[in-house]
Amino acid sequence: MSGGRALDWALAIAGGVLLTLMTQANAVLAGYTDALYASWAAHGLGAVVAALLALALARRAPAPDPATGDGPARAPLWYYLGGIPGALVVILSAIAVNSELALAGTVALMLTGQIIFGTVSDRFGLLHTPQRRITLMDLAVAACVLAGSVLIVAGGA
Amino acid sequence: MLFLVALALFNGVLIGTSRTINGRLSTRKGAFRASVWNHVVGFVFLSAVLLVLRTWPDVTDTPIAAYAGGVFGALFVAVNSYVFPRLGAMSASVLVISGQVLSAVVIDCIQQGALPAPIRLAGVVLVLLGLTLPGLSARLRQREIHPCPTEKK
Repeated sequence: MSGGRALDWALAIAGGVLLTLMTQANAVLAGYTDALYASWAAHGLGAVVAALLALALARRAPAPDPATGDGPARAPLWYYLGGIPGALVVILSAIAVNSELALAGTVALMLTGQIIFGTVSDRFGLLHTPQRRITLMDLAVAACVLAGSVLIVAGGA
Repeated sequence: MLFLVALALFNGVLIGTSRTINGRLSTRKGAFRASVWNHVVGFVFLSAVLLVLRTWPDVTDTPIAAYAGGVFGALFVAVNSYVFPRLGAMSASVLVISGQVLSAVVIDCIQQGALPAPIRLAGVVLVLLGLTLPGLSARLRQREIHPCPTEKK
């Protein structure tokens, strides 16, 4: 594993930690209000915070990246619409959580869906992602992490 | 029930789709701008939903600290959009999920002042095993090569 790749790994795991902190804070807010309002408020505040970060840290567009082969260029319109499926999740997961699936079942299935999507998307290069060969090792890692995650989610707080 | 299972799985697909699209945008505009667009578009979309449903909760008792999720979310989308195209959707998802479930166990531990239940500890061991598999196998392969460095390939 090269140094750059180790940094990407560490960043991705740190991203997961941020996601837990976000989920916990939003759950507190949803407890005082409701899930839809909590997500709406988090998106609004998140937009302001992200804009401040972009102004402070990233005044220029990125230089061409050797890892992805992309550079600053006009992006197709749909590149800007990632927020819509993300926001849709808030509404649909509220339906699933309030059903007989409950929170644990919903989260376990959502994690499974993410990994299935990632595998198919890499394999076939969906949504302009570079096509990647899925190795046996990738599958073994995914299986361990998914099984462990389901145990953690099912094990309750 | 089958419908609900499909719905929850589809939710996972939507999460992957959202993160992939944000990752694409980050390769053109940078990770922070990708985070801005994700939040602005999501905010507009949810505003429309709120207007249609006309549900407005009472927000007077809400502590300011409960709004911290927006700050974490802005940082998360930037970090995730940066790593997604670099690692691929599968590896990035697996690593983010690992960080997510491991940190959830740690936070629960601290909040409750107690060790996690055995089933959760088993889960932690499995996740850590998964994360170390590539390194372990690389080391094993090296050990197979090193004993006979003179051997020609």
